[in-house]
Amino acid sequence: MTSTDVTAVSKPRAQAGWKRLLLSEYLVLVLTVFYFAVMWTIVPEIATADTLLDILRAMMPLLVVAIGQTFVLIVAGIDLSAPSIIAMASVVGASVLTGDGGYANGTGFEIIAGILAFIAVGAVIGTFNGLCTTRFNMPSFIVTLTTMMFFSGAAIWYTTVHTDASSIGNLPRGFIGIGQGTFFGGLPFSLFVVLVVGGAAHFILSRTVYGRWLYAVGLNPRAAAVSGVPVRRVIFWAFVISGVCAAIASILYTGRLETGTPVLGQRILLDVIGAAVIGGVSLFGGKGKILWTIFGVLFLTVIDKSLQLMGLPIASVFAIKGSIILAAAVIDAVRHRVLVRG
Amino acid sequence: MKLSRREFTVGALLAAGTMGLPIMVKAQGTKTVALLFDSLVSPFWVSGIEIMREKAKANGWETLENISDFDDNKQFEQVKAMIGRKVDGILIIQTDSKAVIPAIRAANEAGIPMVHFNRPPAESDAYSVAIQADNRKIMADTVQFLVDEAKKMGGKYKACLLIGDLGDVNAIQRRDGFFDVVDKNADMIEVVARVSTEWNADKAFAGLTNALQANPDINFLVTSSDFMHPQIEQVLQTAGKWHKRGEEGHVLFAGFDGDEGAYARLKDGYLDACGVQNLFLEVDMAFQAFIDMWAGKKPEKLLLDPGFVITQANLTEKQDEMWGYTVWKKQNG
Repeated sequence: MTSTDVTAVSKPRAQAGWKRLLLSEYLVLVLTVFYFAVMWTIVPEIATADTLLDILRAMMPLLVVAIGQTFVLIVAGIDLSAPSIIAMASVVGASVLTGDGGYANGTGFEIIAGILAFIAVGAVIGTFNGLCTTRFNMPSFIVTLTTMMFFSGAAIWYTTVHTDASSIGNLPRGFIGIGQGTFFGGLPFSLFVVLVVGGAAHFILSRTVYGRWLYAVGLNPRAAAVSGVPVRRVIFWAFVISGVCAAIASILYTGRLETGTPVLGQRILLDVIGAAVIGGVSLFGGKGKILWTIFGVLFLTVIDKSLQLMGLPIASVFAIKGSIILAAAVIDAVRHRVLVRG
Repeated sequence: MKLSRREFTVGALLAAGTMGLPIMVKAQGTKTVALLFDSLVSPFWVSGIEIMREKAKANGWETLENISDFDDNKQFEQVKAMIGRKVDGILIIQTDSKAVIPAIRAANEAGIPMVHFNRPPAESDAYSVAIQADNRKIMADTVQFLVDEAKKMGGKYKACLLIGDLGDVNAIQRRDGFFDVVDKNADMIEVVARVSTEWNADKAFAGLTNALQANPDINFLVTSSDFMHPQIEQVLQTAGKWHKRGEEGHVLFAGFDGDEGAYARLKDGYLDACGVQNLFLEVDMAFQAFIDMWAGKKPEKLLLDPGFVITQANLTEKQDEMWGYTVWKKQNG
């Protein structure tokens, strides 16, 4: 066999390999590993055990919100209210928990009452979003944009009613442990929370009838309705799940910062939606997996951490982050073209 | 020469690594200080970071920068990243005085000195040093100058105070400094409007407009921050009250911070006095705190910049200490 023959045989094989990688659901993970490897040569500190644990810790709350968002995206909706749910739940929960005259202070049930308050805020706002979207046929974009604006303001008002300061502190150590605690030699406790939420979400999406209904509604709601899928109920519960996930993320963030603050999570909306979409969840509905969302969140968290480690001026940070996300989006577009062509 | 893909990939990675080497080599043998800001939205902070960069460079220190965009959680992540980079000091401007406490604890655990610039953290068991302007005294001195001017001119005065965000200790101290003086002169000055701006220029504009509609005879005006000057000028112009010192109908007007707008309005005669935060001194104090902590000393948790009041009488003498003058000079050649 001559060298020309070897090249002729290996070229299609290599092309097939690239195509397989491009179409693989692990593409974003591969890109993350590649990016990490390049960054390792520039900021070696990114590969230390402490930084890796930091990346894991930073991922956890964002991942919980993104998991909730995945449910809504699968039914071709969008939940813009997630940041305001995080903020509202944070101040309401903190007002119950705080040692400075909290509603449950001294009852012995502070932590349970506080956590229930967090979840209740998420569930109520999620229910409101779901009802408006399904009962009044309002676009989820408008409904959740409105709730985002309303509850962002309400969180600030609620804080001013409860304290002279701009945030609510003095939270019980037991609660702070949810956001800061560790187990099994340094793994964040929030990982345990995320494993439960992520495991449940994966189970619902892949093993239950409701999960199949979600995809059916996202792909074609009319066809789903004709097939007997309770479309309104399916969409309604997707918003409730998203609200509850944002509230759980709020517990993790609030515990981490030891403070209930009305501006908590106000800047993470793009990261939440971006992570899900970069992972492969479709904005047009009917497509998405928890695993993909995990990859998207990991990708964005690694980028953030690397840029933080580099300590560059803000203009460079925006330019680099924007370029990287754009590159990922272009690769995703190429991937779809290849997929459509077969 | 043809390169295989594998050779190209390995080459690219090696090139990237080689590019990174100078960064790592440069970082050795010198102090590295992290500058963690929550925003760069006002000239005060833009000038602040520029002064820090220059002074750090003059000290032979490296700087790393991160901006949190008012996100407390992101700022905590940035502190962890800087701890990961093993910097020698962290200078932080936090958004929330309570939410920064876990970050102080993390820096304490890593043995890295932390200095808060302009805003002290809430009380806690964690140790850090805060540099802050003596807001109450500077504001009191500024308002005292205005009261003395009013006494010289005689008559009764209707006052309006533009208050900042009362969640910010700086805003509270400036408000208190105002009332320390005005309350002692209640026979001459009546406070008819307190405009809550929440450090928002639009709210300042709307609030002052309403205040002037309700009390058109306001003739004594103090703002808790100079960044609201353009809105104040616009409102006073619309109300026909924008006049220079000595002109008929001049509103006694004082500001706080010492930005380039304040310098220009002082120079032009529209502003009577400005309480200046001495940004140059505050940066020196912050860097000295690092040097002291590196030497094993434990400075006080709160160090105050005494600041000063600038007026037309001492403008030439004090302008070089006014950070806004430096900005104004750059903008005007």
